[in-house]
Amino acid sequence: MTGPIGEDAFRRVAEAALELAGVDGVEVLFVHEWGGLTRFANSEIHQSTASEDTGLRVRVALGDRVGVVATNAFSPEGAAAAAASARELASVSGPDPLWPGLAPAADYPRLDRYDEATAGLGPQERAAAVAELVARCPEGFRAAGAFETRAVEVGIANTEGQLCWGPWTQASLTTVVSGPDGGDGFAEHIGARVADVNPAALGERAADKARRAANPRPIEPGVYPVVLEPAATATLVGFLAWIGFAGRDYIEGRSCFSGKAGQQVAAPSVSIRDDVTDPAMIGVGFDFEGTPKRRLDLIREGVFLDAVYDRRTARQADRAEGSTGHGLPSPNPEGPFPLHLCMDPGEASFEEMIAATDRGLLVTRFHYANVVNPIESTITGMTRDGTFWIEGGEVREPVRNLRFTQSTIEALSSVTAIGREARLASEFFFSASLVPALAIEAFRFSGASDH
Amino acid sequence: MLDVARLAVEAARRAGADHAEARVTTDETEAITVRDERMEGVDRTSSTGVGIRVLAGGRWGFAATARLDEEDVERTAALAVSIARAAARLPGEAVRLAPVEPAQARWETPIVEDPFEVPLAEKIALLMEATHRARGVAGVTYAEGTLDFFRRRSWFASSEGAAIEQTITQSGGGLQATAVGDEDVQRRSFPDSFRGHHRSAGYEHVRMLGLVAEAERIGREAVELLAAPECPSEVTTLVLDANQMELQIHESIGHAIELDRVLGMELAYAGGSFLRPEDLGRRRYGSPLLAVTADATLPGGLGTFGFDDEGVPAQRVPIIEDGVLVNFLTSRETAPIVGRTSNGTARADGWGHLPLIRMTNISIEPREGTLAEIIGDTEDGMYLSTNTSWSIDDHRINFQFGCEVAWRIRKGRLTQLYRNPNYTGTTPEFWGSLDAVAGREDWVVYGTPNCGKGQPSQVGRVGHGVAPARFRGVQVGVRAS
Repeated sequence: MTGPIGEDAFRRVAEAALELAGVDGVEVLFVHEWGGLTRFANSEIHQSTASEDTGLRVRVALGDRVGVVATNAFSPEGAAAAAASARELASVSGPDPLWPGLAPAADYPRLDRYDEATAGLGPQERAAAVAELVARCPEGFRAAGAFETRAVEVGIANTEGQLCWGPWTQASLTTVVSGPDGGDGFAEHIGARVADVNPAALGERAADKARRAANPRPIEPGVYPVVLEPAATATLVGFLAWIGFAGRDYIEGRSCFSGKAGQQVAAPSVSIRDDVTDPAMIGVGFDFEGTPKRRLDLIREGVFLDAVYDRRTARQADRAEGSTGHGLPSPNPEGPFPLHLCMDPGEASFEEMIAATDRGLLVTRFHYANVVNPIESTITGMTRDGTFWIEGGEVREPVRNLRFTQSTIEALSSVTAIGREARLASEFFFSASLVPALAIEAFRFSGASDH
Repeated sequence: MLDVARLAVEAARRAGADHAEARVTTDETEAITVRDERMEGVDRTSSTGVGIRVLAGGRWGFAATARLDEEDVERTAALAVSIARAAARLPGEAVRLAPVEPAQARWETPIVEDPFEVPLAEKIALLMEATHRARGVAGVTYAEGTLDFFRRRSWFASSEGAAIEQTITQSGGGLQATAVGDEDVQRRSFPDSFRGHHRSAGYEHVRMLGLVAEAERIGREAVELLAAPECPSEVTTLVLDANQMELQIHESIGHAIELDRVLGMELAYAGGSFLRPEDLGRRRYGSPLLAVTADATLPGGLGTFGFDDEGVPAQRVPIIEDGVLVNFLTSRETAPIVGRTSNGTARADGWGHLPLIRMTNISIEPREGTLAEIIGDTEDGMYLSTNTSWSIDDHRINFQFGCEVAWRIRKGRLTQLYRNPNYTGTTPEFWGSLDAVAGREDWVVYGTPNCGKGQPSQVGRVGHGVAPARFRGVQVGVRAS
């Protein structure tokens, strides 16, 4: 297995592009990614992979005409050829009146998110961890999931003198354990270091939930109080990244927060920020345009503050402070996006949240959610892998999966308690967010499934 | 490049593989986005590498690299073998491959006009004109036009002796008009949402789209939608346009019939399927009008090719006949489990991923009549067009879809326009309520170039031949309050 190419080697390759003559600006984005994934199903390892790729994305500006060429030919020759090709694209492209120019030179937070052991983990070690997890399944139960360890180094260099480079690692182990009587249980760990992954504990947790989820009973759709585990909270927060916090939608009146700066949009206990500097987060301290990343409060004590911006949308919005450091790889007509959302934890233990629920539902996680109405912040999706009826402050019996159709803003406005522990949790369409469990007074389930 | 693939196969065999396949792949793309006669972005990408898949001791291993020198290819082949051996850490059945005649062949998408050779300025000019026309409609906030081109060259070799070279070329384009109001946003797309209508074809496909000709119409409809009432909540007769049938089939049939899902191999990520292996030939999937095929030979489909990424020839196979399930989508690994041979659907997202069962072109077979005749034959109902969102449960049972636009059908005519329509149902009941499918005249091959599956996540390019259809007793207008 390989290791980082390093800042110096990246700079040497990038310089071959930055030397391009007769242009007004050149930017080189470098992403080197390697790692492996051990996938299992029916308690067997069935698909395991390893891969390595090194990509360059070169953006060239001729006045306000811009062209972008990406290649995985990582060499000075490859960089120079991509730059020349991007210049050709720019020369025949139309003008972009919103072109903001390249990021100026600026310092950025150096984050210690690279772990040698994670970057170098091999297939034998991953398989051993999966075996440890599977061993926690009772007789007749089957485990499925994936154990991925990967490393990424990202670099940005441009003709304005900005040079950023940083590596990070990620170790994630996710499992769904299925029992013989229709019960499924989910558990996952996502973090920067493989040493923090406890396969046996994850297997035990998922198997225990699958045991308790057996023979779910049907339940009528309706409005119920809910307790959402962090994986379910991650869906609500993840979708806000798209329909709420994305700067282009926001300034064009297409966001659920458009026109709501300074307004109460959630319960006073709810605070959401984008913050790659949080020690639990994964990533580097700059965005894909080379703008430094800082903690950015988005909702503070229930009040919406502002959206996220890249350089182009900051110009579109006449935002004096410029980009917030949320640019994605160019070109990006969709605009900026927060990739490191964190919701502040509260003070409640999970047990206290259950105990405070008279009649309601416990949701392990949601599945395949999507937008119904972005302005209302309404999304729909299904529960999966462990949904339970709560009565009299106790988790009673499992119930069949339900479809929700719910305004995210209204859900966050009726939060009654927030778990005191935030966890990095994945979402099907979005990056993982650092979120706690939530108790919500009213959550609308609009349909039901058969399992 | 075929030499590199052969080198990889030989290196894997020397490292101990019982079976080895290698695919050298080069993917090239070009994407152009214009908004209101202004550039939003133009980019070209290229990515080359080799993916090596092996069987050792009955287990799979896969490794991939962008470095094609001999030393790196040999190192990657050895890594694939060590990954396969690591899989034996857990007990399990040895993989048994369905037989396939090793092919030595070349195949390429038939195209008239190479989209990568058409001058960029010409493409941009098309989008400038289309967005100008749509933006010119009073009330349109902005109009966005897109063009996307994709080419995959692959060289496949296997230890069984296969040597296959393929070139797949695809083109797509679309136009969207957006109207932003004080409390709502409405959008109309043509010919399809999510960057338009994609086909395996050259630039001739773009020339036939009619982006400029339809621009003012979609602009007007976007503005009209902003003033239209919300789609009411009711149980009614539902007529779906072909471009919504595309997503309906994709989510509630296409994914459900993937045999790897049926066998639980995708369970922890995108989920399984309500179908079981023993359902073959027995399970009623829908009304007798429902006939579905998987056809990798369909001209123009995004799921059209000469050979899949296991070297199995493209095939046309029935999936549902007279409403009864008769086949799954299979691979060489999964087909023997249900006593069949592979029907050639294993495809990978470029060189860095292993082949998975992917939809080819999953199509509803046309019946008779036109969309106009179906509407004319409907006393009362709703007609919905153009997908905006999709959601379905982890067994592919309970679904909910959103569309851009709905019209009330009264006594065979389209009347009231509604905004924000959606509908929900459960797969067997919904397809059981199918009572009309339009004929060949209104049957269209659409493409879905963004189908997600697998871990690490892969993006598949799949097609659907679809016709407008009618369903009875469907819940429309699901609201949050």
